[in-house]
Parts: sequence; C-alpha cells; structure tokens
Amino acid sequence: MSVHEWKFGVVLEYWRNFARGLLGTFELAAIIVLAALVGGVLVGAARYSKLRLLNWPATAFIELFRNTPVFVQIVWFYFAFPVIIGKQMHGFYAALLGIGLNMIAYSAEIFRGGIQSIERGQWEAAKSIGMGYAAMMRRIILPQAIRRMVPAFANRLIEAVKATSLASTIAVSELLFEGEQLANSIYRPLEIYTVVAMLYFLAIYPLALLSYWLERRLAIDERVKL
Amino acid sequence: MTPDAADPILSVTALHKHFGDLHVLRGVDLEVRRGETVCLIGSSGSGKSTFLRCINFMEYPSAGRIVIAGKEVGQPTGTRDGAPVYRYRERELTRIRTSVGMVFQQFNLFPHKTALENVMEGLLIVRRLPRAEAEERARADLKKVGLIDKADQYPSRLSGGQQQRVAIARALAMEPAIMLFDEVTSSLDPELVGEVLRAMRDLAHEGMTMLVVTHELGFAYHVAKKVLFLHEGVIHEQGTPDEVLKNPRQERTKAFLTGFTDFYF
Repeated sequence: MSVHEWKFGVVLEYWRNFARGLLGTFELAAIIVLAALVGGVLVGAARYSKLRLLNWPATAFIELFRNTPVFVQIVWFYFAFPVIIGKQMHGFYAALLGIGLNMIAYSAEIFRGGIQSIERGQWEAAKSIGMGYAAMMRRIILPQAIRRMVPAFANRLIEAVKATSLASTIAVSELLFEGEQLANSIYRPLEIYTVVAMLYFLAIYPLALLSYWLERRLAIDERVKL
Repeated sequence: MTPDAADPILSVTALHKHFGDLHVLRGVDLEVRRGETVCLIGSSGSGKSTFLRCINFMEYPSAGRIVIAGKEVGQPTGTRDGAPVYRYRERELTRIRTSVGMVFQQFNLFPHKTALENVMEGLLIVRRLPRAEAEERARADLKKVGLIDKADQYPSRLSGGQQQRVAIARALAMEPAIMLFDEVTSSLDPELVGEVLRAMRDLAHEGMTMLVVTHELGFAYHVAKKVLFLHEGVIHEQGTPDEVLKNPRQERTKAFLTGFTDFYF
C-alpha cells in the first residue's frame, strides 16, 4: 500500500471554487429555511384546522413528503416534473422544490405539535377570563408553543443545510458539486473532499451550538422574552 | 343589575349533560343569590365538576336553561330529556365568561407571565384598561390574597398554594358577578390547603357570590349558606350546612359523609 502524499496547498489555491460552492449551499439553505418557516406555519395551521377542506390536503401533503426520501423527491422534480409541466427545469429549482417541500412538511408537524402540546388548562384559563380565540393564540398559546418549537426548528435547519448536498447529483452549484468538479480537474480528491467536509462542519456546527443554547435557555427559564 | 340581595345571580333549570352514551347530569336545578356561597359536594364521578364547567361553558350543556345575572344564555332550539336545548354562539359565551370567574384544580396560571402579569392579562386584553390602571387593580387583587410581595415572581417559583391564590386574584380582577371554584385544593399538599381556603373564606365574607365544588366539608360547613349533595348527576339533598352535613336525611348523603373520618366542625 502506497502512502498518500497530502498536498493541501495546491487545493487551497482553488479557494474561489469552494467559496462559490459555499455560497450556493447557503443560498439554497436560506431559501429552504424561509420557505419551511412560512409554509410550515400555513400547512401546520391547515393540518390543525377542523375544516376538512383544509385538513385533508394538508395531511396528504405532509404524509407524502415525510414518507418518501428527500433524494427521490429531488430527482423526481428534476426528471419527472418537467414532463408534467412540459418545460425543462433548472437543477437549482428542482432541488429547492424537493428539499423545500420536504422541510415544509416537517416544519408543519413541528408547528402543529407545538400548539397541541400546550395543556388544555391553558386554553381554558384564557377562555375563562373572557379571551377570544385570536387573543388567546397571540397572548397565551403561541408564546409558549414557540418556545417548544424552537429547538426542533433549529434541528430542521441543520438537516436542511445537510440535505442541500444532495443537489450536487443534479449539477447544482453548491459545495459538494464544486468539490466534485474540482476533483475531476486537478485529481486531488482526498484533499478536496477533506476540505469539503471541514467546510460543511464549520458551517453547521455553529447551528448545532445555537440549537443547544436555545434548548437550554428555553427549557429551564420561562422568563426569556421572545 | 339592581343591588337587591335576593337577586339570583345564577339560575339553572333542568341541566342535562351527555358525553356520548354517558348521561352525566340528569336534570340539575340550582339557584345562587347575590353574596351567597353555595357548596356542591359529592363523590368523584358524581358530575359536580361537569356541572360547574357547564356554567361557564367550558362544556356545553346538552339541555337545560342557564340564566346569569338576569340574562338567559343562548337561544332555545328544541327539547331533549324534557328540557329545552339551546344553541350557543361563541361570541356570546366569551362575553358571559367575563362575568363568571373560574378557578381550576390545576391552577392553570400562565407560566410565561409573572404573578402580576397573570392578574393583569384579562384587564389589559379583555377589559382593555390602560396599563397603569390595570397594574394598580392587579396589585390590589394580589394584596387581597396576600401575595403582593410575590407580584414579580413567575409561577414556577411559587408554591401550589401561592399559585392557586394568584389564580383566585386573576379571576377576581375581572370583577365577576359570580366565581366558580372547581376542587381548588384537591391537588395541593395538605399544609397548603389552609391558605387557599382562608383566601376563599375572606372573599365570601366580603360578599362575593361563589359556587364551590369541594371535598373540604369543614369549609362547606363554616362558609356556605347552602350545601348541595350531588350523586350520579342528580341533587339528592340540599339545605343549610347543618341540615345536609350534620343531619342528613337521605341514605346516600349519610353514606357519603361517613367516608370522611377526619371531618371536624
């Protein structure tokens, strides 16, 4: 077995490629997280609703996207969806749809679960002093529910960033794809993938720290102002 | 409202409640007059909590007429069990609840708000008082239950007895026409029961109209004007505390009372 001679210097000369990749990763992740927050609240509210017209489609959506692999969703949006709409789709949008809709489905469940985790006594206490539904939600239920949702949302955020690496398979410019491209042109795969892994770690680890911090803060102390 | 002391604040006629096949309340009649404390006793499962919860519409009655402060609640639509059935609109019920205070077994304080903020909440959001005025009134109510020095504490820092007294202040702050107490000492450690009962007794002496579901027969005996014994969804016996608790006429009442060995008058 020959010993590999590690040469990071050569690889780091191509820092622009890595930067471009990271930028793509961040761009994808940012849009997905935003969509997951907004879409998650909407779909979660629909799922929570007693109206069948809202509840059923939301439930179907959530179950469909939670129970199929996100990778399959990306590939499906890249290859099959264009046939249905009769238009070729850029990989970036296919990845956005695949990962984004998956994240919306999970976020919706976090949102619904957070609200449903609030004890019945809280609703009744708010009702008993004459609060209407909107005031009750805004003043009593959501402030408590959001506390419980935040750590789960933070975990989802981490999953979203990691999932963006799957977009490399459909030629979207993000960190892993840029690494692969570089590996194919300068033949230094070991160094390149090591750098790629470290960059993912450096991007994601602060998020993990943030989620631990939030979890600790929100769990012990009811007094944190949101 | 006229200040006539004989005014019924609450009048319930033929109240029925079904939970699926379960017929929990089978035609309960009750009248509470201004300034009276009425205690409802009975074994668990007798329907006394359900009855209380029907009065501020945490549960909707299946049938029966409820009149609060002279106003009939809901619109009659038909009959069931020989009693009128009503349709309720959430809007009307929300308004009714502002004049019917309720204190729960599990306190149900808002954990993300201080004691003071708990008491202020209804004044700010429902009564829409300016903050300064709401705070002043909330402080007065906390003082009444002996907790002014805990105003800025969060519920998690308070004992069960203190939490329950804050909950009483929160209901009191709305200046309700009647206050409902749903086994408010049942989940407290024995040494904390006294402080809550004393706060309730003081309220009764100040003339608050109260309907109290309780297992504290000593409280019922000393504070209530009227005691009702509920069994299997029916009022079996009612009268003064002396009549019901000391000289019960019904076998059911006697059997229930013998279960209380440590009951001193």
